[in-house]
Amino acid sequence: MKINGVVIDDTFAEAFTMRVARIVITGRTMRWAREAALKLTGFATSVIACKCEAGIERELAPAETPDGRPGVSVLFLTMDKESLPKQLIVRIGQTVLTCATTACFDGLPDVPDRLTVGKALRVFGDGFQASKVIGGKRYWRIPVMEGEFLIEETFGMQKGVGGGNFLILAEDAEAALAAAEAAVDAMTNQPGVILPFPGGVVRSGSKVGSRRYKGMVATTNDPFAPTLRAMTKSQVPEGVNSVLEIVLDGTDAPSIEAAMRLGIPAACRPGVRTITAGNYGGKLGPHHFHLRRIMSDVA
Amino acid sequence: MSDVVTLVLTHAQDHALVADCIVPDRFAALTTKEIAALRVTHGGRPAQLGDFFTVTGARSTSVRVAGSLERVEGIGTAMAGGDILIDGAVGPDLGLGMAGGRIDVRGAAGDNAGGARPGAAKGMTGGEIIIRGSVGDGAGAHMRRGLLVVVGDGGRGMGAGMIAGTVVLFGSAGPGAGRFLKRGSIVALGTIERPATFRYACTYRPPHVNLLLRYLRTHAGVPVTDRYVTGRYERYSGDLAELGKGEILQWAGE
Repeated sequence: MKINGVVIDDTFAEAFTMRVARIVITGRTMRWAREAALKLTGFATSVIACKCEAGIERELAPAETPDGRPGVSVLFLTMDKESLPKQLIVRIGQTVLTCATTACFDGLPDVPDRLTVGKALRVFGDGFQASKVIGGKRYWRIPVMEGEFLIEETFGMQKGVGGGNFLILAEDAEAALAAAEAAVDAMTNQPGVILPFPGGVVRSGSKVGSRRYKGMVATTNDPFAPTLRAMTKSQVPEGVNSVLEIVLDGTDAPSIEAAMRLGIPAACRPGVRTITAGNYGGKLGPHHFHLRRIMSDVA
Repeated sequence: MSDVVTLVLTHAQDHALVADCIVPDRFAALTTKEIAALRVTHGGRPAQLGDFFTVTGARSTSVRVAGSLERVEGIGTAMAGGDILIDGAVGPDLGLGMAGGRIDVRGAAGDNAGGARPGAAKGMTGGEIIIRGSVGDGAGAHMRRGLLVVVGDGGRGMGAGMIAGTVVLFGSAGPGAGRFLKRGSIVALGTIERPATFRYACTYRPPHVNLLLRYLRTHAGVPVTDRYVTGRYERYSGDLAELGKGEILQWAGE
């Protein structure tokens, strides 16, 4: 299969079941909502070291938010149920509570599994906090120097998918970067999907474990490192000199597939030789995104 | 089972008609005949609901009440769910000690709406009462939780002794509003005579008022203009003669 002359490998991305929450942050202006969202999702690229993965799903118009102000929707994922509330409490407490003008709402209101994030953060009010029930939902009003911080008492948690991916194999670093940027632009604002790495792009894809260091959980993906082509069991084809990866997390597999369907063709640009994907032989992750199946109606 | 139970008062009453049996969650299990047989008190004498109301529908938690209801008392007493739509003005003791559900009055309401039953320490403990006209004295007095919205004017002692919950008043409040309030909020969009035991804190835009007024506009059809939704409010803490954790939020302009 080829798209714009770029080979689509007959392979699949292997992804994992994670736990996901959607956080809606509003602010007096989009600037402040975005500031809080950027801080909240900082250092949240990979569960390998960050213990969570997070990113901005999309910006929300005032008509889409509970309080009629500009907002940002954030997806937050962890590997297990227990660590998601811990991460949310710490991060929202330090990044959204502290950010001027913001309020914080649950973006998964219909999900039965609830995390008592706002309830935990209320104690910052030192006994001066107050709750209000509006439309059957409880909100906490936490007094702060600016005025009041409003946060919903509970946030929904559901199963999500982490680790969807595709790799862009290009003739040079410039072509790889241009293709990656085009793919990210095409996938930005897709509902139910985030790209947790810087700019949506990973240059340091990893393999599980280490050939040399026992304590390492993940080390460089040497089969796809062009500089190692002559000295490792390389998967870098001849003529390819740079590889970039796009990692996608989402609320469900169809959302990730829909985003890949937009991103892969956008990456098929001049200078790109092949689009492939990372997997572990299908033995570790239950979600398999077969590139040719996903792109069958595009190619 | 029907979508709604409708009660139409057959004629205006000269005496008080205590109809505290009109409770949606109770109707959920009753036939039309059983609803008509529920006990009421008319002029101090026992009678049946069907003696005064035409009853249609059965086994529903949605109730519509119509007719000249100014002398009908106690509708929605202790209700815990469902909804009552009252098409016109209604008498006193509406939603006494209610715990859940919604009462929507398309007119005025008498004294003690959302208040406490005689001898009880707590008024309503949950649910919503929306009165699209004015309300008599003591509305929301001693309420523990819940929401009371008055689109018209409030009488004397509105929200007096509130333990928590929220009162929203679009018109003007009579004297004694919020007196002895422990916790809870009175959101005054019109004029309000504050007790001397409330102290000014600041003027700000309370985020929960924004959310609350949007909710009323969207989910209850209450006509709330943007100037109230996004406006500034003066916060008065009180009652400082009591616990002092309550507040009167008075609209202060855009």
